[in-house]
Amino acid sequence: MAKREIPEINAGSMADIAFLLLIFFLVTTTMDKDQAYLRNIPKKIVTVTPPVDIEQRNILAIKANSQNQLMVRGEIMSDPNKISEKVVEFYRTNQKRNDVTNNFPMYSRVSSNVIQDNIRRIEIEIESLEAEGAVAEMIEFKYSQMDEWDKKKKSLKLYGGNELPEIQFQANIRIEVQDATEYGLFAKIQTEIEEAIYELRNDEVKRIFGEDYQTIKTRYAQDQVNADKDKLNLLEILYPARIIEVTPKK
Amino acid sequence: MSKFKKDSGKSVPGVNTSSLPDIVFMLLFFFMVATTSKEVDPTVQVTQPVGGKTTDLTPYKQRSEIDFLYLGEPRNKARLEDFKMGYALSLDNVVQATADELYTTNAVGQWKKDKFEEKKSRVKVPIEGVITCLKADKGAPTGLIFDIRKELQAINALSIAYAVRDNGNI
Repeated sequence: MAKREIPEINAGSMADIAFLLLIFFLVTTTMDKDQAYLRNIPKKIVTVTPPVDIEQRNILAIKANSQNQLMVRGEIMSDPNKISEKVVEFYRTNQKRNDVTNNFPMYSRVSSNVIQDNIRRIEIEIESLEAEGAVAEMIEFKYSQMDEWDKKKKSLKLYGGNELPEIQFQANIRIEVQDATEYGLFAKIQTEIEEAIYELRNDEVKRIFGEDYQTIKTRYAQDQVNADKDKLNLLEILYPARIIEVTPKK
Repeated sequence: MSKFKKDSGKSVPGVNTSSLPDIVFMLLFFFMVATTSKEVDPTVQVTQPVGGKTTDLTPYKQRSEIDFLYLGEPRNKARLEDFKMGYALSLDNVVQATADELYTTNAVGQWKKDKFEEKKSRVKVPIEGVITCLKADKGAPTGLIFDIRKELQAINALSIAYAVRDNGNI
């Protein structure tokens, strides 16, 4: 029998098929990323304790009313783009030198001796607690305290010098809105705060390490290198973002 | 003597298109890899406000540690007055029927709990760490956002993300 030749497959329509698929994917997909501000909601408290008095100087209140008018630290502000300047001022004013006469949060300076003393003290406390057979939660709490001091120790080493400037632990930024305030303005306030904190941290990180804050953040997200984690911790200690969103009254 | 050659009557050879499918396939694969498909086409209209210096939620999304919630004007204008201040909440494309329903049945809390139950085995984070991303219209009243926050707080879902449109380079 004669051998039959196998006919070649015509691939001319392959391009058409591929184009069809390509156009389908072009139409059905969106390129935009999900961008957002991450915030934590405070835990629900069961037993209500009377609120602690906080000095006026430690509060940066940003208020917005139902007519979308702004007030920052008691001053009416018509341009929301200026909020970030106020935030920067709030952190910077007393950073180099404390001045009791102004209305900005104080800084404390933590030296390496203080850090060492605290670590030693907590070590002893943990030992005695373990000997007594205290509740596991108590010991865990002490360990978390220890971690905090450990972070400070590492941060001071990175920061250089003998002292680590630390803002008053109560210093906070609070956003007070009303029921009818538009979300657009609320988001604008969040943006301004985020930009101010970015600017502060970026300046510091550029001065110390000669790198961009964003670069370090992205690199840490990808590679999880410990050295980057320490750098980020230092920045968080120098410029902590304590943002309180106050629930509007009904 | 002429400087130019006369047309010798040769025909132009046809362009070889055999590599066209390869090129197109390459494009196709690029788009397939580089894009994420829209999960839902929300039943409410949302125009996000513009922001800057935001967090990119893509890594959380890949680990499915995120739930999306839409707050905007309902596309069905006939039902506009059913909702508080003209804005409606869309949970997985189900628009809350009336404003009252949202508050009496704790719809948001229930929705979040169901979502968490469903993915509990896949996701390695406790409910505190599962982000709820709120995509709200720029005109939406903040009061509603704080109502949602309160419901999330009640069930201990403590991570929230306020979505904005970011024009800056990432």
